[in-house]
Order: sequence, then C-alpha cells, then structure tokens
Amino acid sequence: MTVTPDDDFAAAEYALGTLDPSERAVMAARRLREPDLDEAIRAWEARLAPLAEAAGPIEPPRDLLPAIEARIRSATPEAPGNAAVASLRRSVTRWRAAAIAASIIAGVLAVGFITREATREAVPHEYVAVLQKDAASPAFAITVNLDTREFTVRPVAATAPPGKAYELWLIDPKIGAPRSLGVIAADSATRRANLTQYDRAVVEDATYAVTVEPPGGSPTGQPSGPPVFVGKLIPVGP
Amino acid sequence: MTIRGEAPGRGSPAQATDGLADLLGRIAARDAAAFSALYKATSAKLYGVVARILPRGDAAADALQEAYVRIWEKAGEFDPAKGSPLAWMATIARNRALDEVRRVRPGSLEDLPESFEPAADEVDPLAARERSEGLVKLLNCLQALDEEKRAVVLLAYYRGLSREALALRFGRPVPTIKTWLHRSLAQLRDCLAS
Repeated sequence: MTVTPDDDFAAAEYALGTLDPSERAVMAARRLREPDLDEAIRAWEARLAPLAEAAGPIEPPRDLLPAIEARIRSATPEAPGNAAVASLRRSVTRWRAAAIAASIIAGVLAVGFITREATREAVPHEYVAVLQKDAASPAFAITVNLDTREFTVRPVAATAPPGKAYELWLIDPKIGAPRSLGVIAADSATRRANLTQYDRAVVEDATYAVTVEPPGGSPTGQPSGPPVFVGKLIPVGP
Repeated sequence: MTIRGEAPGRGSPAQATDGLADLLGRIAARDAAAFSALYKATSAKLYGVVARILPRGDAAADALQEAYVRIWEKAGEFDPAKGSPLAWMATIARNRALDEVRRVRPGSLEDLPESFEPAADEVDPLAARERSEGLVKLLNCLQALDEEKRAVVLLAYYRGLSREALALRFGRPVPTIKTWLHRSLAQLRDCLAS
C-alpha cells in the first residue's frame, strides 16, 4: 500500500463515515481511478466491519423482499436479440436507482457552480448530470446551457475502452428512438451545440446515456448495445 | 443477544458464516431462492445497521433495498479470505446509508438536528455476548482508547454522525473532533496490526 498518511486518514474517515458530503464524493470518485486508495478504503472497512455484528437486529418493513426481488428480476440480463432501443430503455430504468449517488456528485458540482456563478453575472439556465454505471462509478459529468443548447461533457473517471469510442445519446419518449450527440472524448472535455434542434423540455427531461461503439461512432446511427453510463440533468443555481 | 436468523438453521457463528458464504456462492450463480434465503437470514441484521444511521421516514428501507440489489449484483466478488459474509454485506449496507445521510443538499445543514435526538438505543459492542474473533480483537483495541474518544468512534460508526454532529454532542470544536478521530483511528490501526 502506497497511499500518503493524509490519504490513509481520508480513507479511514471515508470508511467510518465522517467525511463531509463533498469530501466523501471526491473520495468516491478518486477510488475508481486510484487502486491504492481503493485498497486503503477496503482495508479500513475490513478493520471496522466486525462492529456491525454488535448492532442489534431490527425487523425491516415486511413488503421489502418482494420489491427487491422485482428489482433484481428486471436487472438480470435477458437473452440477447432484443432491439437495442428496448434494452437501452430497460437499462435506463435500472440505472435510475443510482440516482442517489449521482446527486452526491452532482450536488458537489452544483455547489461549485453556485459558488462560481455567485461571483459573476447570473447564468440561470445551466443544468448538470453525472453519467455513471452504478452508484459508485461516476464516469462523465455533463453540463447543459438551456439557453444556447450547448453542452460540455467532462470525463470524471472514464478511461477509453481499447480500440473503441464512447458515444453520447439523448433518450426521451418525446423524440422516439435514441438520438446521437456524437462521439465524446474520455480524456478531455467535449463541447458541442448540437442540442439546438431539440425542444427545451426534451433537453431538460431526457436521459443522457453513453454506449461503447466502434471508433467514429455507431455505424447504424442507433446504439450498438446497452448504455454503460447514464444520468439525468438537475438544475444548477436558482 | 440472540441474532435472529443469522444463518439457515442454528449453530455456531462459524457454521452460520459457512451457511451465508454458501448462499452468496449460489447467488453469484443467479440462484433466486438462495437470495431469498439470504435476505431472510440477514435483513434484520442489516436493517439494524442502516436504521440507526437513517432513523427517519423510508430512507432506511430504501437504503436496505439498494444494499440487497447490490449484494445480488456483487455476490461473486465476495472473498471469504477478506472477512465474514455478514461483515461484507454490512459494509455494503452501511455505505448505502452513509451515501444517503451524506448526500449533498446545497445550502442546508440537514444533519445537525439529529445530534440532538435522544440516543434511545445506543449500541454498546462491549456488551455484545456473541463475539467473532475479529470483534474480540477490535474491542480489545477500542478499550485501549479513552472513553470519550471511543464513544466518538462508536457514534460515528453506529449512528453515522458527522464531525459537526459529534462536535455538538461532545461540546468540542470540529477540528478537535477531527484530531481525535485521526489519533483514535491510527491507534486502532496499529493495535490491530500488532
């Protein structure tokens, strides 16, 4: 283990739970990119975990198991052969559950934006989303300016899949099939204005999803597989 | 303390652990019946962990639900060499609860009032009668801490109290609590490694 003493304390406090929300979100993002830090967190979790044995049992609400079983049934991958669109929609539903963690990171970003915005002229119509695989895996952050319909996607912890590209999609029932917003970079920010053709309501309500595609993007104009990262926008500022 | 449904059937903690590890193995192979059995054997235990951190509304039930979905997804990653099945599951459940209680809500100080809630059922692990080897070792190390510093660690662990909430409860500035935490955790780490 090669983390610094400061990082080891941060890992300890992460495991204990005493980091404040922004510190916690930063650690959650860092552990995805830093295996040593992840290992330090796991070591601390293991040190403290025996305490859980001593927490007295409390009976949970009775209707919980059927709800969980329904969730895992819908989350279990089905046989291939479904249309990509249908699979995309199902996956989106599944990953909506990860919204809590998205809001952690998005909240941190939002705080940053609010602080920044407060120091200059108000920019009232900026939205932000975190695109992620699951609660612990934020990959991209997207900000959208609803006035100019311009968006910027920044990698948070994404690494380019070897020989493949990431493609961003806009998914909303109002526009039918997923629409491509183009191939996005995994190592730098991508800024585009191609949301201009969509209504404000679509841009605001849509799910933003990323799929893995051949270099240059999907040859069919439709997603080649289920999304690997998804997220929804939340407003920033007033 | 009787730990309800700790395992399929009754028996020693070691047998219970084997039973749960077996269930996790079957769950990794997508055995829904094993999942149901695991839930029945462990949900009260995990709910005991999350409900103390999230005492209000449906948040604890939501966190428990998320935790079991994750256990279903990650069962194949459980490694018996790194701890007991219950410790592995409790860590997942506790992290869900902490993510919720530490959710960023811009401009609010949402978790401050909780520190004023009466602590009706504080967990005292030193009073636990059933102890695994790991718990015995950890308790020995915890007992080497000052009483107040031990209480800080235990309240953070069991109730998910933030540094701010701990500072209010103990009437100390936040930096003092942070220093206490760092010293206590370093002491625990060294003690456990010895």
